[in-house]
Amino acid sequence: MAIPNFNYLAPTTLKEALTMRVSHGAKSSIMAGGTDLLIKMAHRNHHPEYVIGLNCVADINYIRYNAAGNLAIGPMAKLSTIMDHPDIVSHFPALSHSSGVTATVQIRNMSTLIGNIVNASPSADNATPLLVLDASLVIMHEGGEREVPLHEFFLGFGNSVMKPTELIKEMILPMPGKNSGSSYQKISTRSKVDIAGVCVSAFLTLNDAGVITTARIALGSVAPKPIRVPQAEQVLEGQKPSIELFRKAAALSREEAKPISDMRASADYRKAMVEVLTIRALEASLLIATNKTH
Amino acid sequence: MNDTKTNNNSLIGQSIPRIDSPSKVTGKAQYAGDIILPGTLYGKLLLSTVAHAKIKNIDISAALALPGVKDVIVGKDTPCIKFGNWRLFPNTQDELPLAVDKVRFIGDEIAAVAAITPEIAEAAIALIKVEYELLPAVFNIDDSLAPGAPLIHDENKELTSNISLDRKIDVGDIEQAFKDADYIREDSFLVHPHSHAYMEPCATIAETDAEGRVTIYTSTQTPYIVQCLLASTLGIPENHVRVVKPAIGGGFGGKMELRTWEFCAAFMSRRTGRPVRFVLTRQEELEIGRRRHGMKIKSKVGFKKDGTIVAKDFEAYLDGGAYNSMGPTATFLCGNFGAMLYRYPVYRYRGYHVYTNLPPSGAMRGFGAPQAMFISETQMNMAAIDLGIDAIDLRIKNAMVTGDKIEGVTTISSAGFVESLEKIASATQWKEKKKNLPPNKGIGIGCYSFISGGVFNWFNTQYHFSACEVRAYDDGTAHLFTMSCDIGQGSDTVLRQILAADLGILPNMIRLTAGDTAMTPKGDLGTWGSRVTLMNGNAILDASKKIKNELAKIVSVKFNLNVIHDVAFADGRVFAKANPKYGMTFGEAVTMWVKMNRGEELTARGVYTPRDKGLTTPAYSFGAQVAEVDVDPETGVVTVEKISTAHDCGTVINPLSVEGQLEGAIQMGLGYTLCEQFAIKDGKTLNTTFLDYKVPAAEDMPQIVSYKIDTYEKEGPFGAKEVGEGLVIPTAPAIADAVFQATGYRCKDLPITPEKILKSQGKI
Repeated sequence: MAIPNFNYLAPTTLKEALTMRVSHGAKSSIMAGGTDLLIKMAHRNHHPEYVIGLNCVADINYIRYNAAGNLAIGPMAKLSTIMDHPDIVSHFPALSHSSGVTATVQIRNMSTLIGNIVNASPSADNATPLLVLDASLVIMHEGGEREVPLHEFFLGFGNSVMKPTELIKEMILPMPGKNSGSSYQKISTRSKVDIAGVCVSAFLTLNDAGVITTARIALGSVAPKPIRVPQAEQVLEGQKPSIELFRKAAALSREEAKPISDMRASADYRKAMVEVLTIRALEASLLIATNKTH
Repeated sequence: MNDTKTNNNSLIGQSIPRIDSPSKVTGKAQYAGDIILPGTLYGKLLLSTVAHAKIKNIDISAALALPGVKDVIVGKDTPCIKFGNWRLFPNTQDELPLAVDKVRFIGDEIAAVAAITPEIAEAAIALIKVEYELLPAVFNIDDSLAPGAPLIHDENKELTSNISLDRKIDVGDIEQAFKDADYIREDSFLVHPHSHAYMEPCATIAETDAEGRVTIYTSTQTPYIVQCLLASTLGIPENHVRVVKPAIGGGFGGKMELRTWEFCAAFMSRRTGRPVRFVLTRQEELEIGRRRHGMKIKSKVGFKKDGTIVAKDFEAYLDGGAYNSMGPTATFLCGNFGAMLYRYPVYRYRGYHVYTNLPPSGAMRGFGAPQAMFISETQMNMAAIDLGIDAIDLRIKNAMVTGDKIEGVTTISSAGFVESLEKIASATQWKEKKKNLPPNKGIGIGCYSFISGGVFNWFNTQYHFSACEVRAYDDGTAHLFTMSCDIGQGSDTVLRQILAADLGILPNMIRLTAGDTAMTPKGDLGTWGSRVTLMNGNAILDASKKIKNELAKIVSVKFNLNVIHDVAFADGRVFAKANPKYGMTFGEAVTMWVKMNRGEELTARGVYTPRDKGLTTPAYSFGAQVAEVDVDPETGVVTVEKISTAHDCGTVINPLSVEGQLEGAIQMGLGYTLCEQFAIKDGKTLNTTFLDYKVPAAEDMPQIVSYKIDTYEKEGPFGAKEVGEGLVIPTAPAIADAVFQATGYRCKDLPITPEKILKSQGKI
């Protein structure tokens, strides 16, 4: 299906992009990889008058450590780069996994991590890993910039705190402490190459005594936005990991999941799978956390 | 004799790569959607947004007034001539190119626009206002047959219910037979609709000459059928319509009828004098495209204690959607397929084609067989357990063999079914594996048989079922004209291979022109029913024989051959078989023939029509398939690990093509079984993209192994029979059986979803 006419703007700096964003506001959309945006436009679900493409902006496809020692990811960093990046593979296993199972090879070669997040889909593969990895977004606006923790970013289906006059500058991933592990678990109708019917991510950090000091759990496709489950996280923190403990956390996750029944899965199935996947995500995170050598 | 030259048929059995692959891989192949002619107008259809309603008024004034719009038509502007593939029974032709008084499903076509750009056409469609008077609608078989249900085709006074057509088969005394049974297996099943999901959405472009003759380039499997039905709906002579088939990106039965956009392109092209083009979107395809029939089936099978089948009573209700489309054929064939595979000494079939307010179902790969055989195979697996007999042994005991007959319906001229079963049992170590299944693993079996083209003539053609023309030239080349359409299955390659093998020349010495009704011989019904290799292959051999007969005369005269000598055709030469030095090149022989005939061209027409072959087909394929699965006990997710197939398609002409058919069939079968499912709410198809209509991807494919069972089908060219459709049948019952072995969940309601498995186990 042909995409209706629009104006394509090609800034060469983020600053220029921001100026365009400020002047066109709600009539504009930012395009990074375009794998969500163009399809929405082709399906007539989204009608921007101006598409601000980031393709010509130099040096924004980076994955690098910032001054604080955290990982900064630029707006044009592609999923296919993220999935194989050695630092992401070793420190952020949930993200390397999720980016590697997002859509297909062709789409991963085009689409960006930040685009996948800004799209604000409750089933986005990379949303729950980034929630448990405590990612934040640096958002540029006319007066400067602000940093928004990802768990405050999503408002609902396709909706976030980013304003039409704003632009994402980068994503920050805080470096996990030692004895940390994370995992992404997903179920979909097709075994592979599919949108998640249900997905769960977990993150654990243990102290030297083997006690969980930090626990994070996030659920996708079970609410209008990807969600964290503080109730389940609190149950885990301060405890030594055990299957009973994980089951308890998983039961709480299930309770917090408020899925709908749709053509992808029924609410009952989704709730049951939240429990199964939470246990699996915690077990896999623990395995990584306890095997870590550094 | 030290003649080491290869024999005539050395090309048969060779994995010759597809002749169309380079052009498709490099993007050079021209599909209908690639063709833009000077002055092309872009067409768009207005589809009904309601499931069942009277059309009170259609206001096209705003659309017509939009600058750039060149034509807008509604049903009343057309000759209002109904069409359908069952021309022999005009009363079954229930579809109009555009709705006139009534719409019958969400997506029913109401109006069409032709404009100078696609954007203007789309904008014009949005300006058309339709006033409906809503009617009650029915979205499933039960509601459609309930007392007081709205009559969807109330204009057909011969119908008193929404059953548009039925089919009965009665062989033997069914009541008595069940009295004699020791064990009776009786079950009800639901099978779901299934999309062809061909890669190329339908596209068409029509142009009209100064005298009003239409040429239409269109994605079709059946140019001759489109020619006839387009001419009749336009109200012009058949030969004023030329249908050209460009490259086709898959059909699977979904492109074998006249469709509305073909009519609208031709009709508006005649009105405007400009080419008119339609290209469907994937959304439109999934919303209004044809689909495999969903069915509601009851089946009762009686056995003796020793496993011998005594009778089968089979009742199928087909959800036809709003129009007959190819449903009558599916209703007929479903009954025939219900009687296949095993010897049912007594058989009763009742098939009913039921209208509902859903998109029409049509022909799709397997055409009634995947449904019928999912049921028969599942019941065999269930009966085997109850009778305490191994599922393969039970099948072998009852399997059809060469020479078996279904009284009044068909004769099995060759069958490698028992051999397929024996091979698959040993190759998969069936019995040992089944006895020692690890937890959550399952192994299951499903079998199939399919037709090699139909012998029925509901289209009412006056011509041969299949035809071709061969022209031989003095430069040693030949030109094959055929109406058979390569729709991705590889017939261009295989048909050329057959002709090359028979004429003893190389395949690349043959130019092929296919699917152009102004050039290729009339009287070929096109590509469907797995008919092409057998039927067009036979027609080609018929033409080839005539050419060879002429050239044999040349060699005989030139070398003064005794009449007892045979003449051979190989390696580009024509020669005395017993003494190859008495011979000449193919081109030299043609040159001499042309000289002898004072400049005439050496051509021959070849035909094939199955005669006295019963009611179904000249030849059947058979096969057995074993699926091995792993089921996650917590999530219910089924992973198909391996699929093994032993199959009998007669002589294999091209192993590479057969392998491709098998892999494609398994992919389609996997989707049908596990993940493809239309989500329909109040008649509206919700999943109209491949994001949510889930066709298995390459990564979902299991390990595939296959074993070819050697048979020779005397009715087929070089002994070949079908391989195009049958292989799509066994995957669902095989996986379902394996899932049962792994989980205890016996599927009687396709598709198998993780949810259904967990529910059956009380886990959710």
